[in-house]
Amino acid sequence: MLRTRSLDTDSPYVADESKMSGHADALLIPDNEDDVIEAARESYRNGTPLTVSGMRTGMCGGCVPFGGKVLTTEKMNRVIGAGRDDRGFFIRLQPAVTVRELNDVMRRKAYSNLQDVTEGATAELKASGDYFYPVDPTELNSSIGGNISTNASGPRTLKYGPTRNWVRRIRVVLSDGTALDLARGDVKAVERTFRVHMGDGFHTVRLPSYDFNMDVKNSCGLMSRDGMDLVDLFIGSEGTLGIITEADVYVTEWHPLMSNILFFPCDEDAYGFVRGIRASSATPEFLEFLDSGSLNLIRGVRSKDPLFTSMPDLPSYAKSAVLLDLPMDDTLRPSYEAIKMAAEAHGGSLDRCWCGHELKDRERFFGMRHSIPQTVFEYVAGLKRTVPKIHKMATDMAVPLDRSDEMAGLYKSALDSYGLEHVIFGHIGNGHLHVEIILKDMGDLEKAHAAYRELAKKAISLGGSPSAEHGIGKIKKEYVALLYGQKGVDEIRELKRSLDPKMILAPGNMVDP
Amino acid sequence: MKIVVAVKQVPDVSSVQTDDSGNIVREGIPSVLNPYCEYAVYMACRLKGDGPVTAVTMGPPQARGALLRCLELGADEAYLISDKAFAGSDAFATSKVLSAFVRTHIPGYDLILCGKQASDGDTAEVPAELACMLGVQQFCYVDEIVAGDDLRVLQNYRDEKRICVVPLRSVISVSKGECNRRLPSINDYLRAADVEIKTLDKAALGLDEQSAGVKGSKTRIISSRSSGVERSCVTIDGTNPSDAADVIIKEAGM
Ligand SMILES: Cc1cc2nc3c(=O)[nH]c(=O)nc-3n(C[C@H](O)[C@H](O)[C@H](O)COP(=O)(O)OP(=O)(O)OC[C@H]3O[C@@H](n4cnc5c(N)ncnc54)[C@H](O)[C@@H]3O)c2cc1C
Repeated sequence: MLRTRSLDTDSPYVADESKMSGHADALLIPDNEDDVIEAARESYRNGTPLTVSGMRTGMCGGCVPFGGKVLTTEKMNRVIGAGRDDRGFFIRLQPAVTVRELNDVMRRKAYSNLQDVTEGATAELKASGDYFYPVDPTELNSSIGGNISTNASGPRTLKYGPTRNWVRRIRVVLSDGTALDLARGDVKAVERTFRVHMGDGFHTVRLPSYDFNMDVKNSCGLMSRDGMDLVDLFIGSEGTLGIITEADVYVTEWHPLMSNILFFPCDEDAYGFVRGIRASSATPEFLEFLDSGSLNLIRGVRSKDPLFTSMPDLPSYAKSAVLLDLPMDDTLRPSYEAIKMAAEAHGGSLDRCWCGHELKDRERFFGMRHSIPQTVFEYVAGLKRTVPKIHKMATDMAVPLDRSDEMAGLYKSALDSYGLEHVIFGHIGNGHLHVEIILKDMGDLEKAHAAYRELAKKAISLGGSPSAEHGIGKIKKEYVALLYGQKGVDEIRELKRSLDPKMILAPGNMVDP
Repeated sequence: MKIVVAVKQVPDVSSVQTDDSGNIVREGIPSVLNPYCEYAVYMACRLKGDGPVTAVTMGPPQARGALLRCLELGADEAYLISDKAFAGSDAFATSKVLSAFVRTHIPGYDLILCGKQASDGDTAEVPAELACMLGVQQFCYVDEIVAGDDLRVLQNYRDEKRICVVPLRSVISVSKGECNRRLPSINDYLRAADVEIKTLDKAALGLDEQSAGVKGSKTRIISSRSSGVERSCVTIDGTNPSDAADVIIKEAGM
């Protein structure tokens, strides 16, 4: 049954982790796809905006409504079944299942209540080794529906690619309540055109003329390529084209890993180490960076709360750090040989580091990495009490690997020239570092916007994306214009109009209505 | 100093979940070295000087993981006592196996360290029973060990603390360590991975079918239930400390 609730202005359903907050007339809580269809039909009839929200961990205000109704998928949180095809096992689930919940099911092999999507699949999966879902947007409480809608990726994208690579099939409800069941391979564009059957007949959907950059991590704008799959149009569409009500995602075999963190005397040494690793035979599955500011941020919190990150005290010589995971197999020792050489060339060593191979340790390493955005998030949430209009400012730009160091230097010089306190950390293995600004007041926010605009232009000129994994939402719309020009913005808007003629779905996301 | 550390592998309690009927779901729960045993290994490695630290555990083959961790933390050698006949051992039978190990394999030891208790059974009996079977003294619940002209420990019984001078060849159980689990360096790991973990069975310890396992145990579990302790929390406004203190005095019935 579709339930409706009224909303206060401070309701959590009108905000996300960017700390942007909006307003809506009502909250809709569907239990199943029929409820979602009912909600869409009603909104379509009245021409009222309908913004879909998952677990609201987004960083760009994508699920934040500005008027109309907000639909939360949170009650559609069932893992439905398991199946197997030529590529391997997949799990069928409702959109609000979180990454953590999905992996918990597989870790506990809790398959007994799941349906067999293909004959005997749950029993086969139970009898097989350990499986997991490899896309790990560091925020494990995000929903798979949200991940698909933002084409989320994370540290393990280095080995496994973004969400897009793991989606087998989706069910999606369009603006007028039409439900589509799309498996990859079912519908391909003819050059740059799809024909989609909606309630009132066939709609022609024209893809934008730009070529979506697949060479770097990219979640800026809608995907557009000749002959592409219709599933890929919905992946990364940020709730603007339809509401995902069910998905099949592939899972893969888990293997033991060794997590490591190596410490260096300065940021440049850590960059040099990463260059050395890339040129070597080592095969890390996770390659993440923490700059000196990030390590000091951790030290600061720990001086008040020694249990923070549940890691040992950071050594005083640690001025920057690189985290990397290695498969625990025959390649481990040769990898360590290569790491030794690269580390020693840059002031590190196999003694100036920590490692751990138990799940508990891996979670701690991961937690330490995650503590950086989380700490900044909590800081901004606190600041919001006195500066209500403030919101988090984090860059999310990726550049080709051979331009990564250049970009890191640009981050530092641009932010220093604006006098903005910041930390740099993140997916160095994918040429994708995040910068978080420690904002003090609205003046800083203005400066940060200006600095980000400059940096986004630089990232694009280096062949990168101004929005690699968080999407555009409402905060980063200007980047779409920067990357694709006004023509691209207009083409995205026209594409949206062809599937959402009344422009009711998540209005204000990606492009202005 | 030649130090033996008796350790146990336990399910990681921080990831234990219960099912709808309150039973512990063990499937997929990772195993870890019991945290108190980890503190004991750490203390042993700080005390050892040039004498070796020997880690020993009785457990199934996968308990090697716990021994690898001991080696990473600085232990010099490791023994895995594993035999189907030992399955189902209670604290008494475990102590018997461990005492047989010490007698047969490390008779010239200087000190035995254990964790104060294992986080899965929480009996805290093994250290005391092991000391009793070996006919040596026991010092349980130790927070600190200081080696100088003699060996002193700080025992912490919560309501009472005492400092004791400990004769060599005693059994000490350790209750305190660092708040965050230590991590080895890559070199520590590589050294540990090179050490061969020796495996022993009942014959190697001169034991038979009757000495340990279910047959050698004295404990019979008749039933078990969870004792639901109700806790509640009251937040006191501390703006005025003296008012806040009054609230606490009243609550405590002082
Ligand atoms: C500390 C922290 C770290 C993070 N790290 C990463 C990271 O490493 N990589 C990364 O990619 N992201 C990261 N994120 C961002 C965030 O977790 C992802 O964007 C995630 O995919 C959002 O999922 P969600 O369920 O919270 O979606 P929401 O925030 O609720 O929504 C996100 C967007 O998806 C749309 N949407 C949600 N559900 C549906 C649906 N069923 N159908 C259609 N549209 C839908 C919404 O309208 C919105 O536009 C991080 C966030 C935090 C707070």
